Amino acid sequence: MAISVDPPEVSRDLCRKAGYTFTFLSDPNAEVIRRYDLLHVGGGTDGHDIARPAEFLVDSARVVRWINFTEDVRVRARGDEMLVAAKGLR
Amino acid sequence: MPEMIQSRRNWALWLGLLLALGALLCNAAFFVNPPGQRAIPWLSVLLAGVSLIFMVRGLQRAFGQPRVYGDKILSSILALVSLLLVGVAIFSFFQARAIPASAGAPKVGQRAPDFTLADTSGQSVSMAQLFAPAADDSQVVPPKAVLLIFYRGYW
Repeated sequence: MAISVDPPEVSRDLCRKAGYTFTFLSDPNAEVIRRYDLLHVGGGTDGHDIARPAEFLVDSARVVRWINFTEDVRVRARGDEMLVAAKGLR
Repeated sequence: MPEMIQSRRNWALWLGLLLALGALLCNAAFFVNPPGQRAIPWLSVLLAGVSLIFMVRGLQRAFGQPRVYGDKILSSILALVSLLLVGVAIFSFFQARAIPASAGAPKVGQRAPDFTLADTSGQSVSMAQLFAPAADDSQVVPPKAVLLIFYRGYW
């Protein structure tokens, strides 16, 4: 599931255009983003505060089992990498 | 006295321009999301560096042997354009890496902070709900894990 500062309407539009079926959540005040220490102050194109890209695989006990922090925002996590991490869970 | 000097194309400058273009076009490669893409930023730096080397070589020839390598003005323009392209490529490189350290983010083995946020239909969703089985479909197995993808947004 995907979290960003985009409001629900923007995410809904994105989902519709791109055909995404997974859950998109909105964190417009970056509260959760801050809770996860992912705030990128002024990182948005208009100087808005946004999340830095990061992925967490969380199990049903809410324990983090895999993380992916890119060093370069242009390099995004690949689906196959995430699947390997997910399959590694017992 | 007959003109014996043969004029030659300043290929070093043109190669420098091509490489500079290559360095900048590396940015486009990211959209394809290929395997090994983590190497692309370094490839762009490499291309930029090699481009600069050829640029300098080309300028040395243009200004050192102007009768062989022709137009100093054209050479300067070529070098300037290449320099601009390289500049943008290098700037992109550093901009893309200007990311906060996020030292406080949950690490493997730690608990992921709980949250409740609105989904695209405006409904509140908590982490517990993501793991709960679907209310009306007892056949569906609840997920063993959830992948949280934080992204930049503002697309």
